[in-house]
Amino acid sequence: MDWSGWATFGVVATVILTAVLVAAQLAGLTRLDIPMMLGTLLTGDPDRARFFGFFLHLVMGQFFALFYAAGFAELGVASWWLGAGFGVAHAAVAGAVLVPLLPTIHPRMATERAGPTSKTILEPPGLLALNYGWSTPLVTLAAHAVYGAILGLFLQVR
Amino acid sequence: MISNRRIPIGDYGLIGDTRTAALVAIDGSIDWMCLPRFDSPPVFGRLVGGEEAGRFVVGPDEPATVVARGYRQDTATLETTWTVDGASITLADSMVGEVTESMLPDSMLVRRITGQGRPIRIRVEISPRFGYDRRPARRVRRQNGSLIIDHGGIALAFTSDAAVQLTPDRPTILEVTPDRPVTVVMSAAHRGPLLLVPPSVAVEKAERDEIRWQRWADTLITGPHHRQAMVRSLITLQLLTYSPSGAPVAAPTTSLPETVGGSRNWDYRYAWPRDASLGISALLAAGKDREALGFLAWLLHASRLDRPRLPAIFTLHGRPVPHERALKGWPGYADSTPVRVGNGARTQHQLDGYGWVLEAAWQLTRRSHHLDSETWRTIRAFADHITRTWMEPDAGIWERRDAPRHHVHSKLMAWLALDRAIRIAEKRGWSSRQLTVWRGSRKLLREEISVRGFDPDIGSYTAAYGSDDLDAAVLLLTWTGFEPRDSPRIVSSIEAIRNRLGAGGPLLYRYRGQDGLLGNEGAFLPCSFWLVQALAQTDQRAQAETLFEELLEYGGQLGLYGEEMDPNTHQYLGNFPQALTHSALLQAATTLNH
Repeated sequence: MDWSGWATFGVVATVILTAVLVAAQLAGLTRLDIPMMLGTLLTGDPDRARFFGFFLHLVMGQFFALFYAAGFAELGVASWWLGAGFGVAHAAVAGAVLVPLLPTIHPRMATERAGPTSKTILEPPGLLALNYGWSTPLVTLAAHAVYGAILGLFLQVR
Repeated sequence: MISNRRIPIGDYGLIGDTRTAALVAIDGSIDWMCLPRFDSPPVFGRLVGGEEAGRFVVGPDEPATVVARGYRQDTATLETTWTVDGASITLADSMVGEVTESMLPDSMLVRRITGQGRPIRIRVEISPRFGYDRRPARRVRRQNGSLIIDHGGIALAFTSDAAVQLTPDRPTILEVTPDRPVTVVMSAAHRGPLLLVPPSVAVEKAERDEIRWQRWADTLITGPHHRQAMVRSLITLQLLTYSPSGAPVAAPTTSLPETVGGSRNWDYRYAWPRDASLGISALLAAGKDREALGFLAWLLHASRLDRPRLPAIFTLHGRPVPHERALKGWPGYADSTPVRVGNGARTQHQLDGYGWVLEAAWQLTRRSHHLDSETWRTIRAFADHITRTWMEPDAGIWERRDAPRHHVHSKLMAWLALDRAIRIAEKRGWSSRQLTVWRGSRKLLREEISVRGFDPDIGSYTAAYGSDDLDAAVLLLTWTGFEPRDSPRIVSSIEAIRNRLGAGGPLLYRYRGQDGLLGNEGAFLPCSFWLVQALAQTDQRAQAETLFEELLEYGGQLGLYGEEMDPNTHQYLGNFPQALTHSALLQAATTLNH
């Protein structure tokens, strides 16, 4: 496996993935704020949360890049289109399985069962994070496709 | 039995779990309940959908008279007591708000009926319907003594501790004796497993919820007077807040008419930024800062996709509200058609919204609450947007559906938005070229409103530039700081509005004349509370107190308020209960207490 490529381009791909999501958010396409969503696992202050969340996302991006690298190595081929395909599958699983499960472990995210004493600050994302805007699934798919394409383009098959 | 379609709107009681709510008629029939959320189709919809739209009745099966109705002290539990030939029965209705961290269903309705005196026959009738086409259940079965009804993603379980078998769409007759109360529990699940709750457990959970409400009410700061009405209004505002997102719902109903038999019937099961902002002020005044911050967080989160534009309405998850449509075959409340879902005001430009939101943000800043960088960025974006758009006509606070106009109230609120943004900036020690632009626009707005918005012949600020119509929303002028409170223009405006828009006693129409819609409407209750506030703030306190006391009488035993009132019959009109009216009540009471 291309360990040095993983170490370098995992970071690059995650930074660009985050940038695409933030750009989509600023463009009014989605309310999904990944750094804040992750950072509020640690703190209730939205400003600090975004800071911590950015680094948490980097760690997660690096972790997931391992699977991409292993996948390329296993198939014996690495290309931008295969990486983009992995990214689409990654986004689909994240949106359909991981994100809806987040409220069950997130201390500051409400669930659809939240009651009047709920002290949570983030609304539940719902299936495919649709509660954060209709175009959120498309933004997420696009961002992860870019992430995968970068990894596919730069990782070597060894 | 009272004919459902003739039950006055004000005779319905509200129960809820902050995810959805139910309206309980005076005969014990739940005639309105949407599942799983406030804005979902009703499972019990007889209120506006006719007999075919479903109901859930628990009430006397003998000739009975209601002798008492009210909420248990500082709780959301509704009690209805009937006398039946010398004996009496009491029905306690509640929904369990807190279901997290326990094996409880998403929504749980607990109906417990107790008897005093001799045994009394009661009737239980379970007729749920599904979707806006009022379909009957797809599947009915029994499990562990519960009646289970499901259709699509919704499953309902009805469980009772009485030794009878509950049957859908057919009355079940039971007997209540003084030593043996009867409990009927409805559990609901949406796209998940149904949890069957034994009645004894359900009663215990409902009682625990009552204690939670009482503890919450104990911490409310209400001032020395009118505590009961204020607590009821605050509990009602809480019941109308969708806890999973923090969105405040304007009302839990759709299409209760603004005139009986009329067509001004709208869907209010959505969230308006204006209501959220008023709620923030009301909650802050009651010392509920956490809830107030929750409203602001929802508001800013919801408006993010449209920033810097502030949409007029959102769904409970901050999405665009569905297109307005009429439900085919729904007879409406007392033949008031059409019954609408969705809301046509979704795309309107309403300039006043920004003023409400920035006033709320200012209230939080003034109380030394830290606004995070994202909130401050939003405030700046709104203020910049106002400097670019304040000169455009809009639909106004009343969401008129005729041509946009230069509404004076909207311009005042635009002025307020800039004024509050400037105050927040100054408190943060922020200086930028933008601040100079804001100050310039604020000055221009003041000059324009003073010249074009005031009619010296009438002696009042008007509804719109160049019009001699009046608008009761202008009463809000007294707390904005636009002019000194004792300014002759303000005092004469209050007087003119009372004279021209008065509907008897404390009641006011919001405006008169054509508004692009057919038919008339009743007196608009929030305006009455704004009048009280305006009088109290302009040294007419005695009058304000008198009018407020009269308004409290209109709240009846339950202390719930609708949107409008028929000035002749004093019956409520419009969707019920209405968050805006309760927020206005709280503002007026807070002013009187100070």
